[in-house]
Amino acid sequence: MSANPIPSVGDELPRLVIESVDAEKMKTMAALLADSNPIHWDVDTVRELGMGDQPVNQGPNNLGYVMNMLGDWAGGAERIQKIRVRFLDNVFAGDWLEAGGSVTAVGDDGNVECDVWLARDGTHPVLAGTATLLLS
Amino acid sequence: MTSATQTPTIEELESLVGRQFPGGTYAVDPWRVWLTNDVLGSPQRTDGIAHPMFCYYAAMAGLGISIDEMFTLCYASADDGPMFGECDIQQLRPLEVGATYTVKGEITSAIRKDGARTGTFDIVAFQLEVVAPDGEVSSVVSNSFIFPRRPK
Repeated sequence: MSANPIPSVGDELPRLVIESVDAEKMKTMAALLADSNPIHWDVDTVRELGMGDQPVNQGPNNLGYVMNMLGDWAGGAERIQKIRVRFLDNVFAGDWLEAGGSVTAVGDDGNVECDVWLARDGTHPVLAGTATLLLS
Repeated sequence: MTSATQTPTIEELESLVGRQFPGGTYAVDPWRVWLTNDVLGSPQRTDGIAHPMFCYYAAMAGLGISIDEMFTLCYASADDGPMFGECDIQQLRPLEVGATYTVKGEITSAIRKDGARTGTFDIVAFQLEVVAPDGEVSSVVSNSFIFPRRPK
């Protein structure tokens, strides 16, 4: 899928939905990253810490979903030149997520600036930031 | 589990700026790429280009110290409840599957803040360069950690 060749300021980016965050994939990522934090796979630890009763997704995974949304729109994630985000809240196994954004600036050089976000249940923000993509 | 640590002085905190990490290397192995794409729900590409999250993975894995060692360096431990602050990734050139990258970097800022609700906390930021085998910088990753500080 390729991007609209001439995006305009205010354009909404096509949203990406993650129907249910998969606890098994958190285990894979923990192994890939050698991430020893048990909140990503051990529900007992999550409960002991008072964080609920579902494993907590790795923050970088949440950023990866936003990159996927941008890549789908732009015609490839390699078009992402820069992304800057803040992690606002945790994502848990089973969560329904939506990634989206909007165009905030369009340069003559093909650079497009966007606001980006990731939200839980359609309303609760878990990540927010900005991105620059090269569309030409 | 490590025990919570004592709050550093401002001088100790500011002395972190400019501290260089040991650095190291990171191989963008095909199996890592496949599994990462599977976790993230990304397409399995055949053009040799890795997902841009590998800029981050390479930087953090090639830092040369573990996250726990990073906390210790910043006068903290996991028990202090450190949090991710901001994450800034510049993808200057997409990382290539099968290539091995060199990572180098340093702490770029360390500041103390006081919040009415949050109390005292320190923000320590660091920047890492991911360098391709041909010597060109492929990615620059800037991250920060937030360290809550307990009163002495």
